Amino acid sequence: MNYLIVGASSGLGRELSYVYAKNKNNLIICSRKEDDLNALKSDIENRYKVKVTVLVLDLTSQDEVEKKLTSNKELLKEIDGVLFPVGMMFEKDTINLDVKKIHELISANFSSVAFIASKFISQKNEGTITMFGSVSGYLGRNLNPYYAAAKRSLESYFESMVFVNTKRNIKIQLYILGYLETNLSFGKKLILPKGSIKKLSEKVYKNKNKKSKKFFFPAWWTVIIFLLKIIPFSFFSIFNDIKKKND
Amino acid sequence: MYLKSFDSSYSVETILKKPEKYREIEKFSKESKKLITMGSNYSYTPLAFCKKSLVIDLSKFNRILSFDEKKKEITVEAGIKIFDFLNFTLDYNLWIPQLPGYPYISLGGAIATNAHGKSCGVDGTIRKSIKKIVLYHKTHGWLNLSKEENKEIFDLTIGGLGLTGTIVSVTFNLIEFNFTDFLTIKKKIYSITDSINNLKKNYKDKTFVYSWNTAHDIENFGKGYMFVNTPKKNNEKIQKIKNKHNNNFSFPFCLWNRLTIQIFNEVYLKLLNFKKMETEESFLKVVFPFIGKENYFRFFGSKGFVESQLLVPDAVLTIFFDEIKYLCKIYEPSIALFSFKNMSGEQRLLRFEGNGTCVTFDFVRNKKNLNFLEKVDQLCIKYKILPSLSKDSRINENTFKECYEESEIFKKKLINFDKDRVYQSELSERLKI
Repeated sequence: MNYLIVGASSGLGRELSYVYAKNKNNLIICSRKEDDLNALKSDIENRYKVKVTVLVLDLTSQDEVEKKLTSNKELLKEIDGVLFPVGMMFEKDTINLDVKKIHELISANFSSVAFIASKFISQKNEGTITMFGSVSGYLGRNLNPYYAAAKRSLESYFESMVFVNTKRNIKIQLYILGYLETNLSFGKKLILPKGSIKKLSEKVYKNKNKKSKKFFFPAWWTVIIFLLKIIPFSFFSIFNDIKKKND
Repeated sequence: MYLKSFDSSYSVETILKKPEKYREIEKFSKESKKLITMGSNYSYTPLAFCKKSLVIDLSKFNRILSFDEKKKEITVEAGIKIFDFLNFTLDYNLWIPQLPGYPYISLGGAIATNAHGKSCGVDGTIRKSIKKIVLYHKTHGWLNLSKEENKEIFDLTIGGLGLTGTIVSVTFNLIEFNFTDFLTIKKKIYSITDSINNLKKNYKDKTFVYSWNTAHDIENFGKGYMFVNTPKKNNEKIQKIKNKHNNNFSFPFCLWNRLTIQIFNEVYLKLLNFKKMETEESFLKVVFPFIGKENYFRFFGSKGFVESQLLVPDAVLTIFFDEIKYLCKIYEPSIALFSFKNMSGEQRLLRFEGNGTCVTFDFVRNKKNLNFLEKVDQLCIKYKILPSLSKDSRINENTFKECYEESEIFKKKLINFDKDRVYQSELSERLKI
């Protein structure tokens, strides 16, 4: 089997690449920097004896994504599944972010992912699409609002794809992720424990042929998100006002 | 991030960054004036951190970048741990023989300390297996180092305690290893002289010769066993070495004292007496003797231990031990471990390398033992004995200067290369490098 892993050079994407390669799948690995991809390719090929192809792709530029996919037309036909372990953030992503950066964030976390997924779905009758959302998309926030908005868009897009895809045998899955042991959370003191990316990758591989579904990881986020959904937004708004006054 | 040296001599709260991409090494290196690189942080002394340096943890740089079975050449990232490296190369019956006794050490760390294995009498130190290094330096950027390119920095980097920059990748020349087990022959020894005589016998190539001695009984000082490991082959493959997470647990108090050491030594001696003269031992047990024996270090408690590893020229070995015996009578140190092995090579710069005998002592960290060790330092200066900088976190600037003849040359060359002296650790601060 052949899988396209978008955002493979670090964190979850890198771990997924190892898990899929360990299970004897050939890979096309994408990311912005060729040197990181070449190092990963070499390591995987040496360790697992599978074929790895490198595709340099900058998800922040939709034009580039479109061009690359057009010039590699056969690419999506040859693959059996596509994974999007993408999570781009800026350290200073606040509500006043400049417009260029807003476009980049939305493009990397949502529109480029949606574009590639739509191309895949239009060319294939069967296969798997695995996307990764974030718990941050469930409630407005002071930090990373554009990242959170992009992740909320992705969830909505996932639901639409599941509705549209009823006639095809394409399994679409969305993992809503809480804190993970990645570079984004390294050294940060968080309220809840971080989930292991190794366990998540193994879970993703194991579930890859299951029906289209949403998963929460780590699983306790299911309860937290449920509570967030049933509490009216006005409650959070009032809570925020009180907090501001106290500050 | 709270970091502690393996011997528990030093701990500090510092900033640690864990890059995963090449450009992150560059980015994080710009975030602080002072830097230092960390592999697995298994070094006994604090050579991978200090308060003022931002620590670059290279553990995510653990990939195999190229492998040529015919040329017997491999390029790996420096954060790769020895077990991971060997799990790969041994599938092709290849390895490097200069491996430290614990498989969870990173190869970058082994290079920075110019590590040696049990076979250092025959195979020398890891320096002999290195073909090329890729180094990242905050000021100079990416540098290729080898005997042909940037030779001076190449020389400074091997055994350079991480002070020349971040070792990012390394190319090794591998050698064949067609064996799976070892035949271990033990021989009872009764004194230091007996140990030395047995150590200096002519053994076959590829054998590991070392001793385990006791020091609790001054009348029988050096009594113990000599071990000779000769590789052999059976039909099975070498067992894969499993990964293990760094566990910093230690007992709140020290379980080693003169009495417990004496009991342990006597019991262990009795056990060895009962053991067969020749036994077959697994690759893992022989090459990595500390696997499964981690509690030995934890028993030293939260105050930790001191390991004094000395490279003693053969010409002064007897007189040195006469003086050590005399000092032991006066100071009555509690020595938990005492061992000999041969070493070979050329001593240069900061490298713990040369022809002679490598003597290792482990001490409980207490005032009495530290006083004894001060006297040992004086003997090192007197007899031109080399103390290991990566093992003994007590070594001061004076002992270092007196024992390492090229210490000033190293300093000058380093300043020449790096005027801002970017890469600094507790060790470099203590030794004023």
